[in-house]
Amino acid sequence: MERIKVLQTASKGYAKGPVYLVKRRELIIPRRTIAAEEAEEEIKRYKASVNTAKEQLEKISGDSEIFEAYIQLVQDEALMAGVISKIKGGNNAEAAVEDTADEFIQMFDSMEDAYMKERAADLKDIKKRLLYALAGITENPFQGLKVPSVIVAEELTPSDTADMDFENVLGFLTEIGGVTSHVSIIAKGRGIPCLTGVKGICGRVKDGMMAAMDAGEGEIFLEPTEAELFEFAQKKCRFEEQEQMMEVESKKPSETKDGHKFMLCANVGNIEDIKEALKSQMEGIGLFRSEFVYMMKKDDFPTEEEQFQIYKEAVLLTKERELTIRTLDIGGDKGLDYYTFEKEENPFLGCRAVRLCLKMPEMFKNQLRALLRASVYGNIRIMYPMLISVEELERANELLLECKRELEEKKIPYRADIEVGMMIETPASVLMADEFAKRVDFFSIGTNDLTQYLLAVDRGNEAIAGAYDSFHPAVLRAVRHVIRCAHAHGIKAGMCGEFASNEKASAILLGMGLDEFSMSAGSIKAVKYRLRNISFKEAEELAEKVLGASSAKEVKELI
Amino acid sequence: MISQKTVVVNKSGLHLRPAADLSKLASSMSSEITIVAGEKRVNPKSVLILMSAAITKGTEIEIICEGENEAEDLKRLVEAIESGLGEGTE
Repeated sequence: MERIKVLQTASKGYAKGPVYLVKRRELIIPRRTIAAEEAEEEIKRYKASVNTAKEQLEKISGDSEIFEAYIQLVQDEALMAGVISKIKGGNNAEAAVEDTADEFIQMFDSMEDAYMKERAADLKDIKKRLLYALAGITENPFQGLKVPSVIVAEELTPSDTADMDFENVLGFLTEIGGVTSHVSIIAKGRGIPCLTGVKGICGRVKDGMMAAMDAGEGEIFLEPTEAELFEFAQKKCRFEEQEQMMEVESKKPSETKDGHKFMLCANVGNIEDIKEALKSQMEGIGLFRSEFVYMMKKDDFPTEEEQFQIYKEAVLLTKERELTIRTLDIGGDKGLDYYTFEKEENPFLGCRAVRLCLKMPEMFKNQLRALLRASVYGNIRIMYPMLISVEELERANELLLECKRELEEKKIPYRADIEVGMMIETPASVLMADEFAKRVDFFSIGTNDLTQYLLAVDRGNEAIAGAYDSFHPAVLRAVRHVIRCAHAHGIKAGMCGEFASNEKASAILLGMGLDEFSMSAGSIKAVKYRLRNISFKEAEELAEKVLGASSAKEVKELI
Repeated sequence: MISQKTVVVNKSGLHLRPAADLSKLASSMSSEITIVAGEKRVNPKSVLILMSAAITKGTEIEIICEGENEAEDLKRLVEAIESGLGEGTE
């Protein structure tokens, strides 16, 4: 009955289904004294909470030894005896769990041994799990996601989507986040309809309420009427017909009307994404974000062996196609469970990405060795993020060389001709592009960060969201400069930012000479359709005109 | 009631994970079990209690079992501890 209009579309498409509202409530612990006859019931509740917590832990434990140990802790005899005796003494289950756990926490906290002191934190986790279970709140907010649903949340973080069962995701509606936010990128990659910036949506829906969303036009219907559903179905049908047409076109080669070739690649964040991308017409992986390898670990940095297994699995999927793996790009907005970043005034200008890796050379080398070892199975390309200077590049390459020597000593094979390239996403790397081009095998322009750094506009700040614009002539001219420097030194220039798939931008970029367009797999067919239906000559002329423009407004009038 | 002395050999002593392993094994047994380390006497069926004893590598401990299955249980516990509780003995 309710219709909501949204301006921003993060990922097109239609979805209809029950709402799954992601709850993240603060926990209030109801403490009370109980009568003797209530004790039995409270003990039952407590035992049920132990089972719930145990089941949750079993589900997430996998090979993690920490969670295996937690499973023992949560059903520990002494803990259980303590809780039951407190319940029998007249406390409800919540109070008994809290007090007993606190006694143990205090005991560990007061121990001399630093290791034992830390175990207090394990018990706090156990306590939280039990209290959540008693309150009937599932600790993993997606635990209850059992049927295909429209996910409604205030915000979705990378760790949220890491735990999500995508089989049951029909669409996303979030209050916070722009078109370049994490959830948008994930949604695009998987072709899941997504609308972000839907203010107040969480307060307007209930779990299980029927919702229909048209992410193309930016419309949401809550508890739609028959007439609205009919209208919705018609639009959906038209959309699907168009998609069908593009699907047919997408099987044809990547070349313009006049035979100029270009390459379309996919951006991926994990193995599942690669499998999804392989279903599209992508010609390679232009950006594999290796962060997930680090984020799925809860206790420590992944080892060389753990990483090797993942990269090997990835490259066995992509086979002879290029697989561009970006080395760890962490810091700024992305954190790790087991590593605390120094508090920084300006994390985006702080110790992140390659800067962090160069400070932790052993950690970085684990990744480099894993990449080298996996390289024999296909066509891995190593890509460094966030470089600002030739020194940084040389330092990273020195470490890479050390890794190669170490492998040679151990007689472990790697591909000697593995390509090494870099992201162009800092203003410094744009200005130094000719120097960099002499020293690397390829460039990949990261327009999301480049726009933000070049324009000094925080892309997450809603107050100045309008100022964040990749059509700003400064960005376009920077891109052209980078492509020219690349070609002057005989290397390829690609782009792995969302701009590469922008409806209006791709023709300009083609005209500037961009060789490789890497984007969410879901966008590939639309871009291919557009680029196949123009000539390179037209694109060049358009690029020339646009580069002469003096403002973003002028640029947009031209296209 | 029977008992046997042994030495904790795994590298991190009876820390969380090895303690959890030992405790899981002990909990599956019908015997009443006590581990004596110096002046401490702990019930290994509880990870928390077992950890609170802070038993480090190289500590000599005595395992006491009492029950119908005590001989078999004692043997298995000693074997588990001597094999390093899945952690190696380095």
